[in-house]
Parts: sequence; structure tokens; C-alpha cells
Amino acid sequence: MKRTIYLLSSIAAFAAMMSFSGCSKDPLKDMTPEESRIYITNHDTQANFKSYATFSIVDSVAVLSNRSDTSKKALTDYDKQLIASVTAAMQARGYTLVNKNAKPDLGVALTRIDNSFTNISWNPGYWGGIWDPGYWGYPGGGWYWPSYYVVYQVSERQTAIDLFDLKNPGPNNQITAVWNALWRGTGVWTTSNVSSMVQASFDQSPYLTNK
Amino acid sequence: MKKIKYWMLMFASCFAAQAVSAQVRPPLSFDINYSVASPLSSLKDYSNKTSFRGWSAGLQYMLNDQLSVGLRTGFQDFYEKVPRAVYPDKLGDVSAVQTRTLRVVPIQATVGWAFTKPDKAIIPYANVGVGVANMDYEKYWGQFVESDNSWQFLVTPEIGINVPFGKASPLMFNANVRYNYSPYKMGDITNYQSLQYSAGLKFHIN
Repeated sequence: MKRTIYLLSSIAAFAAMMSFSGCSKDPLKDMTPEESRIYITNHDTQANFKSYATFSIVDSVAVLSNRSDTSKKALTDYDKQLIASVTAAMQARGYTLVNKNAKPDLGVALTRIDNSFTNISWNPGYWGGIWDPGYWGYPGGGWYWPSYYVVYQVSERQTAIDLFDLKNPGPNNQITAVWNALWRGTGVWTTSNVSSMVQASFDQSPYLTNK
Repeated sequence: MKKIKYWMLMFASCFAAQAVSAQVRPPLSFDINYSVASPLSSLKDYSNKTSFRGWSAGLQYMLNDQLSVGLRTGFQDFYEKVPRAVYPDKLGDVSAVQTRTLRVVPIQATVGWAFTKPDKAIIPYANVGVGVANMDYEKYWGQFVESDNSWQFLVTPEIGINVPFGKASPLMFNANVRYNYSPYKMGDITNYQSLQYSAGLKFHIN
């Protein structure tokens, strides 16, 4: 009887242990860095992308980090590649690159977000004074983010591309964001991945063209 | 004299008990099976692949030669990785490689009916398990996961066969088919239905 009890309890323990540790496949061990990445795009459904002809792009990339209150400007090899790839993609969609002083229709801002240590919410438009509307020729203006934007919990490195409508400023020099791409996952800050990530973001935005 | 009478009574009752429980094999058994499960209906829409990662284990007690009751647990892991696609969402368009998983751990009480007496060479039976299952849902978008864990009602009718290794052998080969149903709702899953095929061993223990 005692032997049976021992046998039964060891079987029960084994079964319980097996149930909850299982023999399941771990998705995180089964994916490549490319498969780990997600590309999110948003756009203002009211915007008429065919009405824009020219664009200007920032000459360095803003880096936001939770370790400091203000953002910094950077121009690493990654940043240069990012500027080059986004410029080429915009041109392929029919937009002409001009200097920011030549009254471009669209402004393109690039940001790297580094919150490797804590979860904080990313507040879109928090540029820390680097790319304030004055940069684009609208001093005193503010950024306007249409309600379709969502604040994502940030806990890792991300890259964002934002397109602003400079052609139609709102009241009080308010500038509307018309398109945003956000890259999250492993390898987002790796230079050799930039061109495929830019390609994917534009491929899933067929409306972003003036042709 | 009283002592002798007492011992004789003990002896006689032992024999009597022996006669009553003169069964082919002891009533208590433990079974363990390997399981393969195919998703059905909305579960198939969520995760289309057959699960080859599963097992089932239980205890059964024969109340008589044909009726038994028992307890059972187990595990089944559904897993499908979907190639990169763009998913339009109210939050925007998300390009991702989705990995859709569901891990199910049932805990059920069972009632079984054997269609033949226990001394036969093949014992077909029907069984129904009623209880709960732990549903561990994880849907990955790239490396980012949406997850939920809950306990749901689960009912499982079953038919199968037990094949003893010898006429009175306590060891039997078991094979069965189960239909699992749970009114579980999560994401694309509107109810949990699967067809589970198992094979393994059953030991009668004393």
C-alpha cells in the first residue's frame, strides 16, 4: 500500500511538472533578427500625398534617450545611411529633394530612440528643441499629431521617420504630421539593415506617392 | 477457543474478500500516452499546423468490470509561424512575422465504459472527460508578444482500445481518439476544438 502511494505521488508529481514545464517550442529561439522586427506605419487619411511636390530632409538624426532630458543630434554611419535611403525612397515616389530654405512641401525628420534601460512612453513630437517647427521655418509653431497616432511603450531601441506637411500649416504655425514609420526589434540600429527596413516601410505605404 | 474462532472468522472473511475481488487485474491503473492533435474550426484559422508536441497521463479506477472513473491531465502545444505580412490595424499597418501559439493543459475527471469484459484480448471503450484546461495564449509580432493565460471549461469525449499484453497482464497498450471542446474566446479563436490521437501504455497497479 505504501509502495503504491509512493508510486502514485511520484507519478502525480511527474505529471504536474511535465504539464507546466511542458515540451513546447520557444518562439524567441526560433526566429532570426529579421523575423524579430516589426515595422509600423501610420498616415493621416485626410492628407493628399499627390499634392506635395518637394521635400527636405534633416541633415543629422535626433537621438532620444531616457538617460537625458534633451535629445542630441548625431551623424554616425548608420545615420548617414538612413538619410541616404529615405531620400532615395522619397525620390523614387516622385518627390523632389530641395534645401529646407526653398520652402519644401514636406519635411522629413529622423529619430533614433534609445530606452534600453526602462519602460517609458514615447511622446510623439518630443524633439527636445532640436527639430522644433522653427527649424522648418515656422517659429513658435507646434507639432500636431492626428488622433490616429498611438503612443507605444518603449523599452528598447527604435527608429522613427516622420513626414510633416509644411505646405499647409495650421493656425498658429501648427505643423501636421502626415506619415510615420516606426521600427522595433533586434537589429533596428544596424546599418546594413537600413535599406531593407526603409524599403519595407515604403512598400507598405502605397499611398505615399505623388505619381 | 474464542481466539481460534476469531482467527477462523478472519481467515474465512479473507477468502470471501478474495472471491469478491477475483478480478483479472487490479482496479487501479495509470496511463501515459503520446498525443498528436489537429486544430479544428477557428483554432485552425489561428494556428493551422498539427501539433506533434503533446502527451496525456491519468489514473483510472475500475468500479466493476466495465465502469471506471478517473482523473487526467496532459499537455498540447499548438505552434505556427506565419511568414512576414502586413496587418492593417486601427493602430496603423504593422509588418510582422507572427508566431501564433497556444499551450493547453487539461485537468479533467473521467468516466469510462469498457465494451467487453476484462479478460478479452482487445477491450474497446468509450470515455468522457469533463473539467478545465489552462489556456496559455501567446501571439508574437516579431519578438513582441500579446499574451493571456486563463482557465476554461473543457469537455472531451473519447473512444479507444486497450490491448493487454497477455490474458491477465496488468500492462496494456492503449490507443484512442478524443474530440476536445472548450468555449474559449481569445483574439481570432472563437472556440477551442481539436481532434487528438494518442497511443501509449496503461499499467494496472496494486
